[in-house]
Amino acid sequence: MDPSSMNSPELQNLLAQEKQNAMISEMISKLTSSCWDKCITGSPGSKFSSSEASCLTNCAQRYMDMSLIIMKRLQQ
Amino acid sequence: MDSFSSPSSGSPPKFSTDDIMTQLRTQLEQAYAEEFLETVRGKCFDKCITKPGSSLSGSESSCISRCIDRYIEATGIIGKALFNQRH
Repeated sequence: MDPSSMNSPELQNLLAQEKQNAMISEMISKLTSSCWDKCITGSPGSKFSSSEASCLTNCAQRYMDMSLIIMKRLQQ
Repeated sequence: MDSFSSPSSGSPPKFSTDDIMTQLRTQLEQAYAEEFLETVRGKCFDKCITKPGSSLSGSESSCISRCIDRYIEATGIIGKALFNQRH
């Protein structure tokens, strides 16, 4: 492989972009897994009940709140 | 280094940035799909196969298909909750 092509700014940008995408999708998949365990307690139905759906939304948003608190706390 | 840079091969084949990125994207997609599959397997096995019998029952299989659909839907809900509506 032509080593210079690995250093092209174009490729570096694309890699940075892909890295960010990978972090986002990892976060979604981890959060889906743990919110699923918290919110979907019964056997899965043919559609989510409104309480299951809002539990999932709340779960994700409270996770963000918590992350913020943790970051602030660690910055002190 | 690698086989591509051996001097005997004359001028080394050049891979364009596009080739590398296409390759990378394909492999990433494959990795995401595998990981997703593995997660869904685990979740739906826990939910639907609570007492493994001598064969898969009809209610177990329909539970599994609902479970897969709901898990995909849950992934969408989580994604939206994280990125679409900030307070």
